[in-house]
Amino acid sequence: MTRIFSETEVVARVRGLTVTRLRAFVAADCVRPAEAEGRLAFAEADLARVQLLEDLVEDFDLDEDAAAMVVSLVDQIHGLRRALRRIGEAVADEHPEVRARITARITPR
Amino acid sequence: MSDDPYAALGVSKTATQEEIRKAYKKIAKTSHPDLNPGDAGAAARFKAAAAANDLLKDPDKRARFDRGEIDASGQERPERKFYREYAEGPEATYHTSRGFEDFGDFSDVFSDLFGQRARARPAGGPGGETLRMRGQDAHYTLSVDFLEAARGATRRITMPDASVLDVKIPEGLADGQTIRLRGKGGPGYGGGPAGDALVTVTVAPHDSFRREGDDILCELPITLDEAVLGGKVETPTIDGRVALTIPKGASTGRVLRLRGKGVRRGTARGDQLVTLRIVAPPTIDPGLETFFEEWRKTHAYDPRKGVLP
Repeated sequence: MTRIFSETEVVARVRGLTVTRLRAFVAADCVRPAEAEGRLAFAEADLARVQLLEDLVEDFDLDEDAAAMVVSLVDQIHGLRRALRRIGEAVADEHPEVRARITARITPR
Repeated sequence: MSDDPYAALGVSKTATQEEIRKAYKKIAKTSHPDLNPGDAGAAARFKAAAAANDLLKDPDKRARFDRGEIDASGQERPERKFYREYAEGPEATYHTSRGFEDFGDFSDVFSDLFGQRARARPAGGPGGETLRMRGQDAHYTLSVDFLEAARGATRRITMPDASVLDVKIPEGLADGQTIRLRGKGGPGYGGGPAGDALVTVTVAPHDSFRREGDDILCELPITLDEAVLGGKVETPTIDGRVALTIPKGASTGRVLRLRGKGVRRGTARGDQLVTLRIVAPPTIDPGLETFFEEWRKTHAYDPRKGVLP
């Protein structure tokens, strides 16, 4: 059950956002909405992402390029956190001996 | 949601509009949940600050709140979802796990696990399980003197929590060696075993002994007559004094081996290597001088042969 938002709906929901800026974010590939019947269709995750970009512009006084750069770093952090979480889960499932060995190897000497 | 928008922003009731704006921006910057994905409290702080700011930035609403005509909750923003709630979920499409290439030899491990080749994790996998983890290892350093390390000893160290730990220094411990004390580190999590204490030992140098592997090296000063006539002299070892036989006609630099007087490691024990050094008498008496003058006439020898060009 995913809600889809139109361009107008996104602009209405994200305070401070203008259509021009939203289109700039899409053009810069920081937000990648789907297309349905020739119109942009934003998922909830897209909406939240636009809100984050807008916060960066408003609260941090970043320009659009800088905001896009920050969000791309955030993307990398999420990729790393996801990878780290999976490693953590895999290690947690291991035999205590294997875990001890991994811990010993990771702990700085 | 906080009942007191002033407290949410950390400003006083008499704060100026500019102070309120600054306080809000500061919280927005430091507590943005999407920029602090690991901070569970960030979303609450951020939302409270945003709601408080919405109320207080409008002088009219602020005055009405101050007079008690409206409460803080009426001004809350519509429920907002942060990007991080989607970022790691199954429908996440933006996160990237490119960029393991620089991990060198291990990049393959990571691309196998997380790259294009990795298969999707089956639904309902582990997660939400209590983490059971071994405690952290605690690291300590300890300085022991040369003979303690060579002969073995027990040293008592006091841990940061004031508990006392007896560390057994094994015979023949080398400088920089680490002693692992099982289960003496940090406590385990979720019923996991405790970590180990790792004690790195430095060995202080000794005035007369040096160590080379399992051998003990020392220099032994001898008199001119002992060098000429030979005989037994006392020499220090790591176990105390022993008599060492100097051969007749020994020179400075001659190395004598005392078998089994080195450092024990396991069942084997190294040797002690004694380097002789001839020390001239403090005063040269006329008798000695006369003797050597005569002796030189008939017994000249050249120890520098091959040394001088």
